[in-house]
Amino acid sequence: MLRSDGPQAGRVRSLDFSLLAATVALLIVGVLFVYSSGVASDGTVVSNEWLKQILWGASGLGLLAIFAVTNHQRFKAYTPYVYVATLVLLLFTALIGRPVNGARSWLGIGELGIQPSEFAKVATILVLAAYLSEIGNGIRELPRFLLALGLVAAPVVLIALQPDLGTALVYAPIFLTMTLVAGARPRHLMFVVTVGLLTVFLGVLPAVQQQILGHEPGLWRLLTDPSISRYTLLVLAGVVALSGLGFRVFGRRYYYWMIYGGSVLLLAAAGGMGIASRLQDYQIMRLVIFIDPWIDPRGAGWNIIQSVTAVGAGGFSGAGFLEGTQSHLRYLPQQSTDFIFSIIGEEWGFLGGIFVLLLFAALIGRGVVIFYSARDDFATFVGAGIVAMFFFHAFVNMGMAMGIMPITGIPLPFLSYGGSSLWTGMIGVGLLANIGLARARGRTGGGAQLR
Amino acid sequence: MSGLRRHAGRGGGGSSAGEVQRRLRARVTGLAVGFGGAFLLLAGYMFFLQVVRGFEFRTRASDVARRELTVPAPRGRIYDRTYQRTLATNRDSFALDIVPGEVSAAQLPALLDRLAELLNVDHTELAARVPPSQRHLFQPIELRSAVDFSKIAYIAEHLDQFPGITWHSEPIREYHEIGSLAHVVGYVGDISREELQVLFNEGYAVGATLGKSGVEKALDAQLRGVDGLRQRTVDVRERTVSERSTTVRPPEAGNDVVLTIDRELQRVAEQALGQRVGSAIVLEPSTGAILAMVSYPWFDANSFVGDGGGAEFRRLSLDPSFPFINRAIQSAYPPASTFKIIMTAAVFGEETLAADHEIDCHGTFEFGDRVFNDWLPEGHGPTDLPNALAHSCDIFYYQAGVRLGVDTIGQYARDFGFGAATGLDLPGEVSGFVPTREWKASVRNVSWVGGDTVNLSIGQGFVTATPLQVANMAAMVANGGVIYRPHVVREVRHGSTGQIVATTEPEPLHVSTIDAETFEFVRDAMRLVITDGTANVVLTTDAVDVAGKTGTSEVGIEDRFHSWFVAYGPYVDDHDAAVDVAGDTIVVAVMVEAVNEWEWWAPKAANLIFQAHFARQSVLEAVAYLRPWYQSAVLVAD
Repeated sequence: MLRSDGPQAGRVRSLDFSLLAATVALLIVGVLFVYSSGVASDGTVVSNEWLKQILWGASGLGLLAIFAVTNHQRFKAYTPYVYVATLVLLLFTALIGRPVNGARSWLGIGELGIQPSEFAKVATILVLAAYLSEIGNGIRELPRFLLALGLVAAPVVLIALQPDLGTALVYAPIFLTMTLVAGARPRHLMFVVTVGLLTVFLGVLPAVQQQILGHEPGLWRLLTDPSISRYTLLVLAGVVALSGLGFRVFGRRYYYWMIYGGSVLLLAAAGGMGIASRLQDYQIMRLVIFIDPWIDPRGAGWNIIQSVTAVGAGGFSGAGFLEGTQSHLRYLPQQSTDFIFSIIGEEWGFLGGIFVLLLFAALIGRGVVIFYSARDDFATFVGAGIVAMFFFHAFVNMGMAMGIMPITGIPLPFLSYGGSSLWTGMIGVGLLANIGLARARGRTGGGAQLR
Repeated sequence: MSGLRRHAGRGGGGSSAGEVQRRLRARVTGLAVGFGGAFLLLAGYMFFLQVVRGFEFRTRASDVARRELTVPAPRGRIYDRTYQRTLATNRDSFALDIVPGEVSAAQLPALLDRLAELLNVDHTELAARVPPSQRHLFQPIELRSAVDFSKIAYIAEHLDQFPGITWHSEPIREYHEIGSLAHVVGYVGDISREELQVLFNEGYAVGATLGKSGVEKALDAQLRGVDGLRQRTVDVRERTVSERSTTVRPPEAGNDVVLTIDRELQRVAEQALGQRVGSAIVLEPSTGAILAMVSYPWFDANSFVGDGGGAEFRRLSLDPSFPFINRAIQSAYPPASTFKIIMTAAVFGEETLAADHEIDCHGTFEFGDRVFNDWLPEGHGPTDLPNALAHSCDIFYYQAGVRLGVDTIGQYARDFGFGAATGLDLPGEVSGFVPTREWKASVRNVSWVGGDTVNLSIGQGFVTATPLQVANMAAMVANGGVIYRPHVVREVRHGSTGQIVATTEPEPLHVSTIDAETFEFVRDAMRLVITDGTANVVLTTDAVDVAGKTGTSEVGIEDRFHSWFVAYGPYVDDHDAAVDVAGDTIVVAVMVEAVNEWEWWAPKAANLIFQAHFARQSVLEAVAYLRPWYQSAVLVAD
C-alpha cells in the first residue's frame, strides 16, 4: 500500500526524515568523491572543489529548508512570473552566455556563475503543475495537452539553442511523467513518445549508417535522404490532409488512426531531417562511440572507455577511497562532474555503487509515496515532476558511467560537483519535503487550508 | 481530499471518481515499477561490469598506466690477443631530452633557439622533433643524441634557461686506434626494419644497436648482453607518477671478445702495405689464428657517430675504391703464380714428372693452335721442378698441367682449400672458384679445352682465390698436410668477471692425403724461391728464413699487375727442428691490386713484415735496417 490512510502524522514525518537522510548521505558521498577527484597521483590535493561543494551543500540545505516550509500554494501564484523570467534568462544565456565545453550554458560574472538551465527545470515543473492542476481532467483534450507540451517546449528550445541537448532531454521524462499522472490520454502520450523516439532515430540514422555500418540506408532513405524524403513528406501531408477531410465527412475511426500514424511519420521525418542537418560532428561522434567506443579510442571514445574501465576495475569492493588509479592518474576525464560515479565505482566497487543506487532508490521511492499521497493536484504534479527529474538524471548519468547510456553531460544529482545542479537538487528535495509536510499538517488538522 | 479526486466528477465522459482513482493508482504503480526496474537493470549491469568482468578491467586499468622501459645492457668490449689493448669500448655519452609538458607554448621557440645555438644545429631540426600534437605530454622526447659532456654541463649549470630539458646516458661505441682493424672489428648501428623482421624472435627490439659487420656482427649475440627492464607508472599525460620505478630485470653486460689479432703485428702489416689498394694477412698456421688482417682502404667507424655521421657513411658507401670491402676475405682474384705451389705438389705427388726431370724452356709453348708464352720471353732453359717453382717457369707448368689434366689439378686445388669458404668467424666471406669440366659445360655451354688447362696451370683463367685462401695454401705446406680453420676470435670472456666463457680451439679445416714427402719437397722448393729464385732480390730479411712464392697476374692494364706474395717462416731444413718452431711459424700473404703503381710491392711488404716481426722491430726500424731497398718506397707515417 502506497497510501497511508488514517491519521498517522508521526509516521509521515518520520518517513520525511528518510528523504532528508538519503539526501544528506548523497551530499556527503558527493563531497568525498569531489575531494577524491581533486587528489593528484602523488597525494597532493590540487583542487578545492570539495570545499566549494561543501559550501554549496550547506547553502543548499538552507534552500531546502526554505522551500520545505513555505506554503507551496504561494509558489503556485508566482509560477507564471518565475516561468517567464526563466525563459528570458535562458534566452539571455543562449545569446550571451559563457561558453563552457562548447555550449553557452553559463551566465555570470567572473568566477561566479550559474547555469539557468538547471533552475529552469524547477520553474518548468512548477508552471506545468500549476497549469495541469488548473485544467484538471481537461488534459484529456488534445488542445490543452498541446498547450502543456508547449509550456515545456519553450525552455527546451532555448536550452537546445545553447546547445545543451543533454539538459534539454531531461524535460521529456518530466513532461511525460507529469501528464501521465495528471491523467493524459495514453494515445497522446504515445504520440509524443513515438514522434520523439522516431525523430531521434531518423535524425542519427544517416550518420550512424555512414560511420559504423558503412552501407546505404536502404528503404529508410524514403524518410532520411532529403532528395527523396521531401516527396515522402508531401505524400504524408496529403494523406494526413485527406484523412482529416474524410474524418470530418464520414467520421470513421480508421481516418483518425490514419491521421495519427501519418502525422507521427510526418513530424518524425521532418524533425529527423532537421536534426540530421544541424547535428554537429561531435554530437554524431557521441552517438557513434556509444555504439562502439573503440572506433576512436583516443578521441571521442576516450571518456567512455576510461569510465567503463574505472567502474569495472573497481570490482566487488573497490580499490579503496583515494586508491583508484584511473581517476588519480587522470585517465578519467571530468571526474568531479559528469563522471563522478566512475570514481565511486572504482574506489568503492560494486558495494559502493549499490549503496549510491539504494540512496537514489530511497529518495525516489519516498518521492513517489509523497506525491501519490499529496493533498492537492498541484503538489502531486510538482512531486511527480521532481521525482521524474531525479530519476532521469540518476539513471542516465550512472548508465553513462557504465557505458550503457550515451554521453549527454547530465550531472548526477547531489554528487556531481557544481552549485547550480546541487541547488536545483536541494530545491527539488525541499519541494518534496514541503508536500509531505503539507499533507502531514492537513492530516493533523493544524495546518493552513491549502485551497 | 485530493483535487484529482474532486475533479473526477466533471471529467471526461462517464468516468466515475473511483475509476479515476484506480487509474491514477495504476499509473503511479506502473511508474514506480518502471523506476524500480530501471534501477535493477543498472544494478545488474553494475554487477556484470564489476564482479563478472572485474578482472578484465583491472588488468586494462593497470596496463594503460604501465610503461616498460628497457635499460640498455653495456655492450661487450673487444680486445686484441693480449687482452690488454681495448679495440672497442663504450664511451659515456648523453642524449638530450625535452619534456614538452613542462615547457609552455610561449617559452618553446626561445628555448629551442637557445638549444640550437648551443648544439650548433638548425632550429627547425629541433622543432621537428617536438610536433604540436605531443607538446602537452610529459613523456621525454629525445632531441639529440651523442651530445658532448661539456654541453650537458653547461645546461646543468644554466638549468633556469632550459626548462623541461633533461638528459640520459646513452653509451656510444668507440673504437681505439682501430685503423686497419675496421674490417675485422666492424661497427654497430641501429637495427633496420629489415633486420628487425629477421631478428625479432631473438629478442631484438626497435631501436636496438646491432653489429653491422666484422666481429661486431659475427659475435653480436655474445657482445650485446641482455637489456634490463624497468617498469614505471605514468599518468594520462605520460608523467611518471612515482620515482620508485621497479626494476623487473637488471641488465646483463655483454661478453668481452678477445681477438687473435696482434695489435703490433697488425700495425706492422698495415704500414708495410701502406696506402696501396690490397690486403695483407698474417696467419698462425699451427692454429689458424689470424694475427693480422689488413685491407686497404679502410675506414674509421668512429666517424659514423655524432654530427655528420650519416653523411660520412654515405660518402664511404659511394667511394669508388670500396673501403667497406674486406679484400682479404671478400675479394677473389686469380692466384697467378702462387698457384704453382699447388701445381708443384701435384706434379710431385702424382709423380707426373721425376723431381729432376728437366724441361727445356724457350719461352713459348705451342698447344693446339695456340702459343702460350713464358713471362720471360727468352725462356729459362732446361728447368727441373724445384727451379721451375723458384723461377716461376710458366712453360714447365704448362706442360706439367697438360699431363696432370684439369681434374687432378682441381682435386689438388680443393685439397688446398681453394673453391670453398674457409668459414672463418667473420661475415661476408667469398669462396673463390676452382673450375671443372662440368661447370664450364653447363654454365658456359662450351666444353673444357686443353688451353683452359694450360691457363689453370699458372693460376690464370677461371680460377680465383681470396688472399686468405692463398695464405691457407701456404699454411697447408708449412703444417705438412693440414689447414686449421682461420679465426679472429681467440676467446670470449664474461663481461663483468672476465672469466673465459668460450675459447676457439684449433679445428682442422682440410686434412690432406698428400704424403709428407711431397710437402717437404714443396717447402724446399719454396725456400729456393727466396734463396735462388724470383724473390731472391726482394726478400732481404735476415731475421728469419722464409719460404714462399711470388705471383704476378696481368689484368689487361698496361704495366699494371696484381702482385701476390705468400710465404711462411721460419723455414727449417731439418724436419725435427721444424716441429720445434711450429708454434712460432707465421704465414704472410700479401696481395696488392693492379690499380696501384707497379712496384712489385707484395714481396716487399712481406719482407718488411717478416723482418719487423722476427727482429721485433717497428716498420720504420725494419725499413732502416733493410735499406736501400725501401729508399724510394712510400711509407705511411702513422
